[in-house]
Amino acid sequence: MEKLRILVIEDDDNQRELYKQDLVWVGYDVIAVRSGQEGLQALREQPVDVVLLDIAMPGMDGIETLGKILDYDNQMPVILNTAYSSYKDDFMTWAAEAYVIKSHDTTELHKAIAAVLKKRGIQAPPEPAEASE
Amino acid sequence: MVLAGGEGQRLHPLTSGRAKPGVRFGGTYRMIDFTLSNCINSGMRRIHLLTQYASTSLSRHVRRTWASRLSDDMDEFVDFVPPQRLFADRWYAGTADAIFQNLFILQEERPECVVLLSGDHAYKMDYEAMLAYHLEVGAELTMAAITVPREKATQLGVLEADDKGRVVGFLEKPADPPGMPGRPELSLANMGVYIWSTSALAETVSTDSRTNSAHDFGRDIIPKMVQDGRPVYMYEFMPAGRSPHKYWRDIGTIEGYWQAHMDLVAPVPELDLYDDTWPTYTYKPPLPPAKVICGQDFRQAQVHDSLLSAGCIVCGADVERSVLSPSVRVQPEAVIKECVLMDDVTIGEGAYLQRVIVDEGVAIPAGYSIGANPEEDAKRFVVTDGGITIVPRRVMFE
Repeated sequence: MEKLRILVIEDDDNQRELYKQDLVWVGYDVIAVRSGQEGLQALREQPVDVVLLDIAMPGMDGIETLGKILDYDNQMPVILNTAYSSYKDDFMTWAAEAYVIKSHDTTELHKAIAAVLKKRGIQAPPEPAEASE
Repeated sequence: MVLAGGEGQRLHPLTSGRAKPGVRFGGTYRMIDFTLSNCINSGMRRIHLLTQYASTSLSRHVRRTWASRLSDDMDEFVDFVPPQRLFADRWYAGTADAIFQNLFILQEERPECVVLLSGDHAYKMDYEAMLAYHLEVGAELTMAAITVPREKATQLGVLEADDKGRVVGFLEKPADPPGMPGRPELSLANMGVYIWSTSALAETVSTDSRTNSAHDFGRDIIPKMVQDGRPVYMYEFMPAGRSPHKYWRDIGTIEGYWQAHMDLVAPVPELDLYDDTWPTYTYKPPLPPAKVICGQDFRQAQVHDSLLSAGCIVCGADVERSVLSPSVRVQPEAVIKECVLMDDVTIGEGAYLQRVIVDEGVAIPAGYSIGANPEEDAKRFVVTDGGITIVPRRVMFE
């Protein structure tokens, strides 16, 4: 079966790499880019199932990127990702489908991805630990 | 926030080359003046006008009319908000999309409530009283409603409300409008005057942006809110000012536009422009008074049941139940009946016009006839089903 594809848009190299390794480990195909422009380009080049989007990025920030992603495909599930919990107060983020606070523990992220996929009738891959049981 | 960005297809060709809310109305006004005057008279002085089509003349009019009445120092303004093309790279795709694309304004200002209005309705209303009601009932959305004969509700949004005013049903332009309890001959019509709790507005337009709807409040957002059982309330329209009449008219269609003018020429119009307790503001150009004079051989001009704006001269002609905008000239022996003549129109000697809207600057030749023979008129002009002929700008006569 073809793997589900996650597009990670994150300017911080360490954070981006962490997400990439973690999601690949879970069983996703991951495209990881460092800017909104690169993310939009990636979206046009291949099908993507979920976008994980950082808010605070230099140049085109996550809010503007969110608008442009939804302009391209308003059904695209976008999960916003930031270090600040206060961002939920920003109306500009309300078009996103889910929000996850940045953390080294990616449990919440996995849940959010599974939830947006489930809304579309898609089963997320099981966690590797669960798969081995 | 005033939705002033419609293309104005229903008012074509009067909207050719100009934004609908900038279309001349009532002789000296522009359509937008009614909504903006209601805002100012209601004490609401922070206004965003969401525009997108041909808004140069509208912008000039708003600046001339409103800039001097609002104080920058007091943070009062009428701002023009065209599509920024930042958050979404498109024109406004619908009324809800216009708000969605401008959520950054609400984010910056963080108001508790947003009054959402249209720029193409003629009425006098105190929005502050409606706001008090909205806060009292704890609504997410309050909609102003007016009772109309049921058969006239097919082109409007129709509400059904329970005895506490909560909206329990909403249909946009229903073929068979529901009647009111105990008054089956009447329906409750949506006036396009909304007060929103800001967070509910932001949330509903954001959710809607992710659908393939028409992104329209009447067609998409409001029916869904009512269906979901959210607190949507009806506010029964009460007119502001001295007139006891509950006058509200959509002037964004040719028929509505013309009929509203005919309402104005009634001996005691329901929309009272002479009521200085609730003034309708507009820009008044420096023009001399209107003048009515005899023609040659002392042929008397006869003008009755009509509005004449500054700068008009009617010379030995008959003008009946008509509205003349500034600087119109009517030459001897011309007959004008139930017409709306816009700025700088000239009617030639002996011309005959009945139920005609003549756009700016048109010169009707001497002896020309429009309105007496609808079939002939339809070969040259737009003629509505109701028999209104529109003579557009820059028309050439043989």
